[in-house]
Amino acid sequence: MDFYSTLLILLLVIPALAALVVALVGSTQPLLVRQISLGTTVASLAVACVLAFGFLSTRTEMKERTFRPEFVPGATADAPHATTWNLIDFNMGRERSAKGGPKLGAIQFYVGLDGMNIWLVVLTTILMVASVLISWNAIKDEDRVHEFHAWLLLLGFALVGVFIAFDIILFYVFFELTLVPLFFMIGIWGGPERRYAARKFFIYTLAGSVITFLGLLAVVVVCYNKTGQHILTFSIPELVTIFNDLLTNDVANRTFYENFQFWVFLAMMAGFAIKVPLFPVHTWLPLAHVEAPTAGSVLLAGVLLKMGTYGFMRLCLPLAPDASISVGVPVIGTLSVVGIIYGALCAKSQDDIKKLVAYSSVSHLGFCTLGMFALNSTGLTGSLLQMINHGLSTGALFLLVGMIYERYHTRSIAEYGGLGSKLKIITFCMVFISLSSVGLPGLNGFVGEALVFFGMFETRMGLAILGTAGIILGAWYLISMLREVFFGALKEPHTEGHEVEDITPREIAALAPIMAVCLLLGVYPQPILDSVKPDVDVVANILKDRKAKMN
Amino acid sequence: MTHPYATQLFDLFKHLGPEMTLIVFACVLFVAGLFRADRAAWSLLAVAGILAAFFVLAISPRPQVLSGDSVFAVPLVFDALGNFTRVLALSTGIILVLLAWDEVPERHVADHHACLLVIIAGVNLVGCSNDLVTLFLALEMISIPTYILLYLPKHDDAAQEAAIKYFLLSVFSSAILLFGFSYLFGLTGTTNIAAILQTLHNAEEIKASQGLAQIAMLTIAAGLGFRITAVPFHFYAPDVFQGTSTSGAAFLSFVPKVAGFIAILRVFGFVLPAGVTTPAERSLVGLGLSDQVPILFWFLAALTMTIGNLLALLQDNLKRLIAYSGIAHAGYMLIAVASAPYLSGPDSATSGVAAVLFYLVAYGTMTLGVLALVLMLHRDERPVENIDDLAGLAQSHPYLAILTTALLLSLIGFPLTMGFTGKFLIFFGAMAAQGPTHLWLYPTLAVIGVVNAAIGAWYYLRIIAVMYLRASAKPIETPGTITCLIALLVCVIFTVALSVPPGASWLMNVARQAAVR
Repeated sequence: MDFYSTLLILLLVIPALAALVVALVGSTQPLLVRQISLGTTVASLAVACVLAFGFLSTRTEMKERTFRPEFVPGATADAPHATTWNLIDFNMGRERSAKGGPKLGAIQFYVGLDGMNIWLVVLTTILMVASVLISWNAIKDEDRVHEFHAWLLLLGFALVGVFIAFDIILFYVFFELTLVPLFFMIGIWGGPERRYAARKFFIYTLAGSVITFLGLLAVVVVCYNKTGQHILTFSIPELVTIFNDLLTNDVANRTFYENFQFWVFLAMMAGFAIKVPLFPVHTWLPLAHVEAPTAGSVLLAGVLLKMGTYGFMRLCLPLAPDASISVGVPVIGTLSVVGIIYGALCAKSQDDIKKLVAYSSVSHLGFCTLGMFALNSTGLTGSLLQMINHGLSTGALFLLVGMIYERYHTRSIAEYGGLGSKLKIITFCMVFISLSSVGLPGLNGFVGEALVFFGMFETRMGLAILGTAGIILGAWYLISMLREVFFGALKEPHTEGHEVEDITPREIAALAPIMAVCLLLGVYPQPILDSVKPDVDVVANILKDRKAKMN
Repeated sequence: MTHPYATQLFDLFKHLGPEMTLIVFACVLFVAGLFRADRAAWSLLAVAGILAAFFVLAISPRPQVLSGDSVFAVPLVFDALGNFTRVLALSTGIILVLLAWDEVPERHVADHHACLLVIIAGVNLVGCSNDLVTLFLALEMISIPTYILLYLPKHDDAAQEAAIKYFLLSVFSSAILLFGFSYLFGLTGTTNIAAILQTLHNAEEIKASQGLAQIAMLTIAAGLGFRITAVPFHFYAPDVFQGTSTSGAAFLSFVPKVAGFIAILRVFGFVLPAGVTTPAERSLVGLGLSDQVPILFWFLAALTMTIGNLLALLQDNLKRLIAYSGIAHAGYMLIAVASAPYLSGPDSATSGVAAVLFYLVAYGTMTLGVLALVLMLHRDERPVENIDDLAGLAQSHPYLAILTTALLLSLIGFPLTMGFTGKFLIFFGAMAAQGPTHLWLYPTLAVIGVVNAAIGAWYYLRIIAVMYLRASAKPIETPGTITCLIALLVCVIFTVALSVPPGASWLMNVARQAAVR
């Protein structure tokens, strides 16, 4: 196993081990717990960065028409992009049948990196560090610090796993695993309505994802039943190849595949749309975001929601391409636009800053899905970039809201005014991040949004025009909030005597990397766009082919 | 003149070692219990009996030699399914002795464990039955000691009512089952299951008496449906579980289900005994009786899981909840039963029967584990009867809480637990099954199944939420007994270890071997 594959395994092992160690350290040494968490998350970030540079330098030109993960652990020289690490082998030790017999594959521990997931992994590790830093003093109950950090690290483990999994079952396992840590984080350390929020979050997303699970199984089964050879495989790249070959070659069953894709699309949409969340299944989100502790909100908004959009891109588009074109564009396109506008209007009418940011997520994720369902290379690239942008800027917004809340213990906009004159650096950060979120040229949001709309203008002009309204609305609610909270005459909530300080070094350490990346992505996004393009083009080409066939 | 199959029949006794061992130990317990009441001694003796049976099973001659067509004469076959059932039943027996260890009054311990050993022997025989009469006797060998078992640990009104209720309904269901068997006998002129299946598979004239076959099918399904708590034969379960002792509930939640499902697999021919040949055009197993068998189980599955889950939502009492959850899980297993006939090719990637067997193990570990927790913490002065009684468990017993959470997540069907791996096998099979009439029949059942899994998540999660997110006015101080703790630990270890490789692959392999003839 080469160097980078080992690092990739480490990316999973570090947080999992750290969670275990932290849980075992116990309640007596909260400081040690925090130090271990910080050390391991920083180590993960370093590993992720090394992997990203390695990825940029070693990637060769892609000729495949399916995903091609790099650094796959367990790969052989013959098949450098597949793995031999079987988890559950359906062949059951029998001799592989001779020619013509079924090829029964295995559920595999198949992980790897490609342009589509590498930056999401980096994003996850950055936000993990920030989450640990922001929770330093936020967990009041010293006895349970170790529990909190164990769940947090476990969440980090599951999140990385979702993105790097290339086996369909492994993907689902990680996808579900994210629920438990967040359930406990929200339920134990959340706000006043935490119990209801935790259960609603868990059940809502579980209900969707079990349906998605059936959709995934259906694809595996159809590939098994319909191929002449009966090939059973759970590998996402192989499934994409086999399924699209079937679509192209098995003309006799055309109506079957059309119906089949429709149902598979609906099934996958059930889980992923709830996760994104698309209007009208977004109702769990404001509740969960608001009730969650700051670290939970940061990861929820920053990374967890991307599991939905990532799932659409990785699984739904290539495995149900016809249905994505015929059903996805009108339905999801419309729902995205509705979500963009509705989310923005809801955000404007909130008095609670955290709720405002939560609704802004609904609105911003609409851009992601809108770009994705432009179904062309530009839109998909924009959508992917927008996932990262939203993760950075909304993650940072939640961090900032958390900082202000820690100082004043209220989140009501009405109780604040003119904080700019007192908390100068926090105000600067807030303005900076808000502008990035709004899409100011020169910061990251602009590039993503521009690509999203370039893409959508080609596909559905009307939806694109309506969607742009969201940008204006976004500027409206965020800048109004800035004006009321940070500018004008100083108005502070009652602080019970203790002095309020500006930003601490620990908080700067949490925010600075995010802001730096925001700036970098805004000024010079080309390397990332280049690295993303080959993999996004896999999806775009599949869709292009299917469109050509349909006409 | 000697019987033509005398050698084969006599040969059976060589294979019956484990069951005979159990009966011998049971007799010793029955007699010895008259002279002394000693909790530890008799419990240890019972465990020793089961371990001895394990040992005898391990050294007993294998495989059974069935020459020529003797499979159509012998009443017992000791094939892979039989051995699977025996290992499962014996392991369950140990857990059940551990659970009953401290709960049964000391003067009844010997009787209780003796009954339990007889029951285990009965389950073993169900697993090996190849004759309707043997099967019926084996089932009664489970039922009759069960009545005593339910009565012994607790003597209050509720417990007596539960025992009587179970007794009456069980007798009733046995009668219905026997009625169905008599039709099968009338149709085919034999009581040997292999011979019945062979006749039904081949004879064209049976088609003329479809009506009789349907009555047989319905009544047998009803009789066995009582044991697996399939809706609409489930009514007794919640009342009996609530009324009886916790160890009794643990017993009822699992052992009758094992016997019932194995009997279904045997009688309906989902697992054909070696030697039965099927014509090519009817190569699907399980269709010997009638093509409507899978459809019947389709409806039973849909009804059972939906009603079980919906009613479980309304429960506050833990044991009632477990009863309804057991009904729901029986429904999931029935999905696999319903799809089994269409998944049986030799090259098939999935097997409905293997999924049933895998899920039985999963269901047993998680349900017995949860009841072990209830048993451990319940004291008369600080009862643990309702869900709310578990409030604050995460503070008072953090390790117990995390173990229980693992079991509850398994009941939800969450990854890295057996519940997930089992559900995966069941739903994968249902998606892969291509039914006779309608392409979407089985995927629809899978959709009903996952929707139910999501509904089920709500009430299991409620227990987790109570343990972790609420504080109790009167925290639980019970340290718990060591025997229950061992049972709980074993259940959790199995739940996790058999959900991931290599444990999962191993169990899957074993289950698949048991599923083929």
